Amino acid sequence: MSSREDILGRVRAKLGRDAANAATGRDTVAATLAERTQGPRPHVNPEKSALAGRFIDQSLAYSSSVDRVKTRAEAPAAVARYLADQQLPAQAVIWPQLAGLDWAGAGVKVAARGAEDADLVGITGCFCAIAETGTLMLCGSPDTPATVSLLPETHIALVSASRIVAGMEDGFALARAELGRLPRAVNFVSGPSRTGDIEQTIVLGAHGPYRVHLILLDNE
Amino acid sequence: MESRSRRFKSNALAALANPVLQGNLKMAKGKFVDKRAIAIKEIDDFEGTREAAKNLRNRVLENLDLWLEKFEENATARGATVLWAKDGAEICRHVVEIGKRHGVKKAAKSKSMLSEEAGLNHALTAAGIQPVETDLGEYILQINDNEPPSHIIAPVMHKGLDEVADLFEKTHKTPRKTEIPALTREAREVLREHFLTADMGISGGNFLVAETGSVALVTNEGNGRMVTTLPKVHVVVTGIEKVIPTLEDLSTLMRLLPRSATGQSISNYVSVLTGVKQPDDHDGPEHLYFILVDNGRAELVGSEFQDMLRCIRCGACMNHCPVYQTIGGHAYGWVYPGPMGSILTPLYTGIENAIDLPHAATLCNQCGVVCPVKIPLPELLRKLRETQVETHLRPWFERLALKGWAWVASHPALYGLGTWFGVRYLKWLAGGKASIPVLGTAPGWTAGRDFPAPEGRTFREQYAAMRAERRKSS
Amino acid sequence: MRVALFVTCLVDLMRPRIGFAAIELLEAAGCEVVVPETQTCCGQPAWNSGDRAAAAALAKKVIAEFEAYETVVVPSGSCADQIRNEYPGILADEPDWHGRAVALASRVYELTDFLVNVVKLEAVPGNFAGSITYHDSCTGLRSLGIKAQPRALLAQLPGVELREMNAAEECCGFGGTFSVKFGEISAAIAERKCTNACATGAAAIVGGDLGCLLNIEGKLRRMGDETTRVLHVAEVLTAKE
Repeated sequence: MSSREDILGRVRAKLGRDAANAATGRDTVAATLAERTQGPRPHVNPEKSALAGRFIDQSLAYSSSVDRVKTRAEAPAAVARYLADQQLPAQAVIWPQLAGLDWAGAGVKVAARGAEDADLVGITGCFCAIAETGTLMLCGSPDTPATVSLLPETHIALVSASRIVAGMEDGFALARAELGRLPRAVNFVSGPSRTGDIEQTIVLGAHGPYRVHLILLDNE
Repeated sequence: MESRSRRFKSNALAALANPVLQGNLKMAKGKFVDKRAIAIKEIDDFEGTREAAKNLRNRVLENLDLWLEKFEENATARGATVLWAKDGAEICRHVVEIGKRHGVKKAAKSKSMLSEEAGLNHALTAAGIQPVETDLGEYILQINDNEPPSHIIAPVMHKGLDEVADLFEKTHKTPRKTEIPALTREAREVLREHFLTADMGISGGNFLVAETGSVALVTNEGNGRMVTTLPKVHVVVTGIEKVIPTLEDLSTLMRLLPRSATGQSISNYVSVLTGVKQPDDHDGPEHLYFILVDNGRAELVGSEFQDMLRCIRCGACMNHCPVYQTIGGHAYGWVYPGPMGSILTPLYTGIENAIDLPHAATLCNQCGVVCPVKIPLPELLRKLRETQVETHLRPWFERLALKGWAWVASHPALYGLGTWFGVRYLKWLAGGKASIPVLGTAPGWTAGRDFPAPEGRTFREQYAAMRAERRKSS
Repeated sequence: MRVALFVTCLVDLMRPRIGFAAIELLEAAGCEVVVPETQTCCGQPAWNSGDRAAAAALAKKVIAEFEAYETVVVPSGSCADQIRNEYPGILADEPDWHGRAVALASRVYELTDFLVNVVKLEAVPGNFAGSITYHDSCTGLRSLGIKAQPRALLAQLPGVELREMNAAEECCGFGGTFSVKFGEISAAIAERKCTNACATGAAAIVGGDLGCLLNIEGKLRRMGDETTRVLHVAEVLTAKE
């Protein structure tokens, strides 16, 4: 007997599974999947400006830094400003999805591809953002490679105000509606990577970025 | 991993006598307990969320076979291979086989408690595959001659900064660093190289989402993302009880897990991974395997211990346990310490191999009230004690003492006589003092404290005398 | 109101004055107190040690002795909980006894809970004066919700100054048979409790469960503290000093 049959067989025996209750059980499974019951959710004000406000507050609490501009077109200049402030070279790996902005005009040299170890700065957008916890929801694709938010020490993310949703449930609902099925990698990112393993002392920059800088696009 | 749970008592005494450990335990306790207390206040209905989590976990267990089949169906449809393992040895066989099939030389590991259950690192090494632990805590343990973890989410809670500094100096052959950020940076640089060169990533799985056939991984360091993004093969090793129905259920659980574990409202990274790399993708594994593990879990389905299968491995029960806070995790002797470990260890390694663990609790129920999925941990500990009695696993003198006391207490006249002598004997032992420093009949008690002396006459004697007096005067 | 007092074996043996204090408090609240003479132990040590048969035998004995009374009061949260919340489960397989256990359960009260929430005692008889700190015993606190009740009663004494200790709700390390089986661990936990209690500078540590109090007192004396008093809340409420 295969281990699969052995394990499932013992689980079935323990549950007293037979043909009749298997049918009701399958109905229960199907109904549960169809209902998608949500648990209690903390109150998050659904007004657009309130969502942005909460997203910013939570992001700051998670050690991200935040800048606000009006439009997507202003983003390259905001990135250039941040890099200069941080005394980082004006050079970054970027999601191919964002390569069309006028980076050269802002003096930022970008490479649209997946990230490599040597990349110091990664620029991404986000699929949406979650106000409740100050979280970016990143969906991987050829245009939005996962490594850009992971390997570089500095991660800069552009967040359109209209893409801020209340909770994780809303992010998943948006993914179902717009993408149909989940992409291979959905990454929820809340601030820079951290560890507390040594003496429970929090240190930023474990394996992922040391810095996460968010540029909120108010009119987008 | 070989169990040392039989030696719980001597392990615990050693822990009590270890000043470094005691200092670290004291420091960690405050941080975990205080942070959680603050974090649970952020959500309006924490109790309702616990109840919802309990119910959704129970819903799966009621039809666990069907949920596993649903998960398997959806994961397979996205290009993953689902394998099953009855025990630790089969986990090792599967992983080694996968490694050989894809010509793997190095495996980068994100934290997986099941790989501890299986002793996977030994098996990989023996098969010529280099395992590299990448969670900072697990890495520190690995370079310290594969020391076992002492906490399920803070594996090196027992270690001080000095020990880590020594280890890094010795292992990395670099100048000794004494600042925690500098040590973390050094580990980052060493491990980054491993992430980039590993052929295989091995992770646990916090949850398996049946709806989508995905694994959800929760980490703060980002190593979980690394090992599931960079290597060409990703192997998920996880228990059969980890399946949940929907992404909505994942959202509910994510309000509880980080808050209960580290007092965070959300962990830095929550990754929901589904299927294999697509043709134009820049990253992601070409091969994805799930190893769904029994190793004792199926036995609990439908049993009086089924509640334990709801566990989401947050560590809150140990963080809040007065016993864990006093002796740390190693004393428990196997993979899982604290209250959840005192239940899982006997259930997974044999009740006769962990005879002390179910008793190593004051039944204060602090664990029960903090558990995010409302597992009645003290009740399960008590049930294990009952099973020990039923199967004659308790020592004869203990059985005799309990039976004797129950028998005496069932016979009021005998009880009256016995207690009459008992309190007078104790009073005599005290010799006019308020307490007794050494009590031969309860050496455990007086090992660390005095035994307060009784008044000298029982309540029932005094009450009878008082009643007689009242009758006389009326 | 006629009330039956379940003294508890620990009070019977070790601190009878707690039993008399409980009677005094109940009488002050206008109750007629009856003490069934054949009572012994509620069976908790056996139950918590896994001896279901012994626990069931003692449960039946207590039920038979006390079910005739309208109300049963216990000067211990853990023993009250044993009768209220554990007996029905212990006797689940014996329908007749189970029914009797359930019928008794809801009429069993922990002393301070009864005084505050049922008879609403508003003039406690004692005049204790001094600083105290209160240890919340685990079972009373987490299974019966005993927290505000003793404090409300103590607040009726103008001379009592309550100084809350850090981690008042943490276990003292007693745990019944745990304190003997794992004496060293138990004593180390007790040491934390004593350190927290003593840090308040209170003259007395007060609680509602004698097991915990013996554990705390034994540890305090071993630590060389001969002066801090360790008292049951009933003793404080009836003390005439």
